[in-house]
Amino acid sequence: MRMLGVFQKSERVRHIGHLDIQRAVQRGLRRSGLPVAYSNGFNPHILVTFASALSTGACGRREIMDVKMAEEVSAEVFLNRMNLAMPPEMQLSEARAVDDRHPALMASLRAGMYEMILRDKDQAQKLISSIEPMMGREEIRVPRKTKSGIREVDMKPLIFSLRGEESTLFATLMLTERESCKPAMILDGLKKEAGIPEEEEIRTLIVRTQLLGEDLEGNLKPLETL
Amino acid sequence: MILSDRIESMLEKVQKAPRYTGGEMNTSIKAWDEAPLHFVFCFPDTYEVGMSHLGMKILTGLINEQEWSLCERCFMPWVDMIALMKENKVPLFSLESRRPLKDFDIVGFTLMYEMSYSNVLAMLDMGGIPVERRDRGEQDPIVVAGGGCASNPEPISDFIDAFMIGAGEEVMLEVNRVVLERKEKGWSREACLKKLAQLEGVYVPSLYDAEYNQDGTLKDFRPNCPEAPARVRKRFVDNLDKAFFPSKVAVPYTEVVFDRITLEIMRGCTRGCRFCQAGMLYRPVRERSLETLVRQAETLVDATGYEEISLSSLSSGDYSCLPELIRELMRRMKDRRVSISLPSLRIDSVLKESLEETQQVKKSSLTFAPEAGTQRLRDVINKGVTEEDLIEKARDAFQGGWSSIKLYFMDGLPTETTEDLDGIADLARKVVAEYFKVPKGDRAKGLRVTVSCSTFVPKPHTPFQWAAQDTIPVINEKQEHLREVLKIKGVTFNWHAPHLSYLEACFSRGDRRIGRVLKRAWERGCMLDGWNDQFKFDVWMAAFDDCGLDPAFYANRVRRKEELLPWDFLDCGITKEFLWREKEKSDRAEVTRDCRQGCNGCGIQRFAGLCAYADPKRRNAPSPSLLPYVPEGDEC
Repeated sequence: MRMLGVFQKSERVRHIGHLDIQRAVQRGLRRSGLPVAYSNGFNPHILVTFASALSTGACGRREIMDVKMAEEVSAEVFLNRMNLAMPPEMQLSEARAVDDRHPALMASLRAGMYEMILRDKDQAQKLISSIEPMMGREEIRVPRKTKSGIREVDMKPLIFSLRGEESTLFATLMLTERESCKPAMILDGLKKEAGIPEEEEIRTLIVRTQLLGEDLEGNLKPLETL
Repeated sequence: MILSDRIESMLEKVQKAPRYTGGEMNTSIKAWDEAPLHFVFCFPDTYEVGMSHLGMKILTGLINEQEWSLCERCFMPWVDMIALMKENKVPLFSLESRRPLKDFDIVGFTLMYEMSYSNVLAMLDMGGIPVERRDRGEQDPIVVAGGGCASNPEPISDFIDAFMIGAGEEVMLEVNRVVLERKEKGWSREACLKKLAQLEGVYVPSLYDAEYNQDGTLKDFRPNCPEAPARVRKRFVDNLDKAFFPSKVAVPYTEVVFDRITLEIMRGCTRGCRFCQAGMLYRPVRERSLETLVRQAETLVDATGYEEISLSSLSSGDYSCLPELIRELMRRMKDRRVSISLPSLRIDSVLKESLEETQQVKKSSLTFAPEAGTQRLRDVINKGVTEEDLIEKARDAFQGGWSSIKLYFMDGLPTETTEDLDGIADLARKVVAEYFKVPKGDRAKGLRVTVSCSTFVPKPHTPFQWAAQDTIPVINEKQEHLREVLKIKGVTFNWHAPHLSYLEACFSRGDRRIGRVLKRAWERGCMLDGWNDQFKFDVWMAAFDDCGLDPAFYANRVRRKEELLPWDFLDCGITKEFLWREKEKSDRAEVTRDCRQGCNGCGIQRFAGLCAYADPKRRNAPSPSLLPYVPEGDEC
């Protein structure tokens, strides 16, 4: 069986990179004493995967770990033992037992929901009022950093929704193994639209609030419920 | 959290923000108002170095365990963070509650190596505390320090209010109680320091005066008030099984230097290597029992989730039931996928069996430390290891499937000649030959013999405390020679430029006056000296110039037997007479036996019941109490 655990990456530890988060979860699983499965081979490691890597600097409210268990345990036991074993900054809110044949989370992932909390009120106002004109464009070209360098992409088809309220932007953005839109790209696009000079810094707290997958009817649903 | 928004904005810009954010497993501590005494444990180097330090884990755990005290952590920030802190006017803050250092009642530094002293000054200043103790007022925290370098506290004594000499876990809480009493009763700073001076193992520098001779040597050193004892005796932990053991140690998110469980299997060493300060200072040898160690290992694995346990001590091979310990740990840890590693292997330890066992779990490189290239020089330094020992162990290792061996040596040892340097190359060549003696099919691929050479630094409280360090040009020449003779296939040679060792030599045996150089160097921008890219040797030399002091006086001068040494007022267990006796034997290349083969009368035998190998006949006044103080001067 496998266990899906929904956990947070709090604001305090938002600068911890994905590899270190993975290791923290591995060590948490070891501390928990839960019967987790290990890989074979010379350096055995716990069979745990993550639905999606979260950027360094971003918080996550409902990130998902996917743990292969060596023995059956109840979701409740998993949740309780893990919460004793994880630091306050990375507590779990839910756990769900699934069959080994349950599709891999990474493959089912379609989108991520984000909140971008803007620290500067003036900037927030400018950016939020630029949402409509930007979304009204035929295409929204922004630079996207890839392994091979920076290339320009049209992010319009990657945006499922985008709105602003007070000092916060709310966005649902495509997030698949093949293609994704990063919150930073939204900020870049809005910045350009608002005519804010490129070198001006936009201080933002990025929070990923939910990971979404697609149900049989093609509707976006929280990934952990599919 | 205090200062939070300004700190957040800096963290967004800085490299390696997790150095400053805390929140690691096992670090959640009580709220500020929950405990009356607030302690901040400062490690004068970066997070990665500090979080690898066992002493910090012990002391923060101990202080937090008391309901009347809390302990937060602080590390030396990296240069990028320092620049941002200056720009944003943010004082140096603790990781947990993000309060400036000046808000704490007591600020404690651990002094692991001399070249971290400039960081102590930088941290005090950034934390809002006057750098020099004489400038501190009633509102400022009490600044204390301990750790290995406190065995010669003088070079940094202008900046520290009180030193703890010896085992911190013994004296720490007593110091804290006095500081808490000060807070509750409103004692003056001076009254508090005088109280502290009365604790055994505490040295309060403001209560002592130093006088110097024309030639710069120390003329007189004595207390200036009745509260301060003429001699300060260090604190011992007599039973390691009963010593405080932190069960919940912090588990960093990011990789640190030693990212594993450190299990201290014993303290002290019976070998008596003459260059080794730790071997002299941490006498007598005290072992933790097998039962205690197995229990502690399990507790730590449960609490941390670490994948590796490293057995730590000065000479793990000497632990009396090492094979049993390793076997038992491996039996219990196998299913939990925890590997066991043995650092600081000594080549004359009976380890063949244990070696084979560690290999089952993880095969890393093996480290041997012959320290010197010839038998004569090894006798001078009393490194009781022979060439045959080394070759036999190398053979065992190669036959056992290892292909990587590290050999540690020192250059600049007293009496060293070219022949001794050539001996290093000979040894390396012989080790390589052992590898090729193993049939090709039976040996692991990829031979790697790494020869590392560090420059010898004479240390206080060792038989070489009177010795001169080689000058920089001489060391340069010797290293050049080594580079030539070590051009051997399969051998890599590592060395360091001698400049840092030269300064280390100045500060390890420095007196009170050298504190001025430290302050001047810091004012001129020196800090993070342990980091190659930050170390500014020229600036240090300029600081010596500014203060009218000659570094050669400290580093390259042979001391006379009668000279009053700046650390003579400390009783660290061993006597000056023993050290001089050892120095004379060293001059004659004469070895001293391992304490386990018979007591050598180092001075520890004065304390009844402390050393398992002490000869009771050598103790001149046994007393019913565990640690009677018997004045030295009986033996030699």
